[in-house]
Amino acid sequence: MSLISTVEAGQARLSFSTRKNLLRAAIVIAVIAVWEMAARSGLFYRDVVPPVENIVAALAGILVDPAFYRNFAITLGEIGVALIIGGTLGFLTGIALGVSRFLTKAYEPLLFYLGPTPKIVFFPVLIMWFGVGSGSKIAMGAISCFFPLAISVAAGIRSIDPVLIRVGRSFRLSTWQTVAKIYVPAIREPIINGIRLGLGIAIIGTVLAETKLSNQGIGFMIIQTYATFNIERMYGLLITLFVFAIGSNALLHRFTRR
Amino acid sequence: MKSGAVAKAALAAEPSGSPTSALAIQNLSMRFETSEGPVTAVDDMSFDVPVGSFVSLIGPSGCGKSTVFNIVGGLLTGHAGSVRVGAETVAGPHRAIGMVFQEESTFPWRTVIDNVAFPLEISGIGRDERHEQARHFINMVGLHGFERRYPSELSGGMRQRVAIARTLAFQPSILLMDEPFAALDEQTRLLLGDKILQIQQDLKQTTMLITHNITEAVQLSDRIVVMTYRPGKVKRIIDVDLPRPRTSEVITSTAFGAYVAEVWNDLREEASRGMADAESASQMRPSRRS
Repeated sequence: MSLISTVEAGQARLSFSTRKNLLRAAIVIAVIAVWEMAARSGLFYRDVVPPVENIVAALAGILVDPAFYRNFAITLGEIGVALIIGGTLGFLTGIALGVSRFLTKAYEPLLFYLGPTPKIVFFPVLIMWFGVGSGSKIAMGAISCFFPLAISVAAGIRSIDPVLIRVGRSFRLSTWQTVAKIYVPAIREPIINGIRLGLGIAIIGTVLAETKLSNQGIGFMIIQTYATFNIERMYGLLITLFVFAIGSNALLHRFTRR
Repeated sequence: MKSGAVAKAALAAEPSGSPTSALAIQNLSMRFETSEGPVTAVDDMSFDVPVGSFVSLIGPSGCGKSTVFNIVGGLLTGHAGSVRVGAETVAGPHRAIGMVFQEESTFPWRTVIDNVAFPLEISGIGRDERHEQARHFINMVGLHGFERRYPSELSGGMRQRVAIARTLAFQPSILLMDEPFAALDEQTRLLLGDKILQIQQDLKQTTMLITHNITEAVQLSDRIVVMTYRPGKVKRIIDVDLPRPRTSEVITSTAFGAYVAEVWNDLREEASRGMADAESASQMRPSRRS
């Protein structure tokens, strides 16, 4: 009786965030456990579902391999440049669409229809235009992240309280001042959300392009391990990619909060 | 202290065609094209706002008050007649006119001090200097101690005072306000009225207030321009000869009551016309459908 109540009190004392983190750890542990059982059950080829320890060993091997860091840096650079180019163009397009009803009427349907289209269909064209090197990967990433940013910035601008624009006019702000001092700060959150979405699909676009046709980058490494049937190493590389994608999103999420 | 002097200097430096009127509205008319044909919102209005005085424009809802506000503020064009500040004709937002809006208009992403310093920031004044000036206007509206708060942390009345301080920091010769207290309760309204009276008397600030509140108009004004209901014309101009400096206590005096009765006399007919219009419009809707 007293033991039970002590246990209950102990549970109650755990803070919300501790319980949340425990639950998060539980799902990761559960996935690993199910994987390990599947690997040991003999139902799958050992090469396709290797035991966890083999994957960990492969991961350790990757983390001391200079080739991994070289390729990772290349992918990172491609994503970064893609985000800068596609993001800037998307941001400016979003501003223009948000400010002008005429441009919205003319172009926004196009944006909505083209946005969800898989951009990989452009890849053959991009290969021809920008070559098999980083150029075509950057272009893929840039095209990918252009759309979410343009759409969310345009929507953000349209949701600005019109009285704030009138305040700006009454203080005789120039167009540029109105953009810099009212539009941009008012849509800070849509901008960051757009960048988050954009980053996510810039990663997809860039890595996907690398797996299709290239000679460097993480996507290339992954597809190489697949082609040479080094599956344990492939899983290790996929884990590094997961961690990178989750980490970069979490980092951006921090910026959203003031 | 220093910035108070700046404000007065700006006031004195403003070129003025006539020595007595800061703002002259002449034969102002405005027509809108609607789906049911053209509607005349403002019809041939003429009145003056003398330098240093407080003039209220009062009328029932739908009489075109806000149209006048937007035209005088330069946010609306396409009118006939003229709005002049001194010798200059208003065509677009004028440097001499500072506007306070009816709606919530503070920038939610800026602190109180950065809201108030906004017009100073736009004119390129350095951070320390503009914060010092902004503090002066924050104190003036009684928000000392709230400089670092965000608008979301303040009450509606406090936010409206931030908006007023921000417009004062623009140091306009003419303060133009559109029902700035419309969203506030009666007590807050009266107390804010006191604040406005004090500011107006301290700065000798020429002010034009758009309102539908009779008490407010009599409490604050030297002159009341009563508008007719649709189309908006000048029905009568009443000079309010109550002693200055005033506070909200003035509302207990018999002279005050007499002015309120006088304004209401003029307004009652217009307001009932407005009400009749609204009622017939709601009666007509179902018959139109059949």
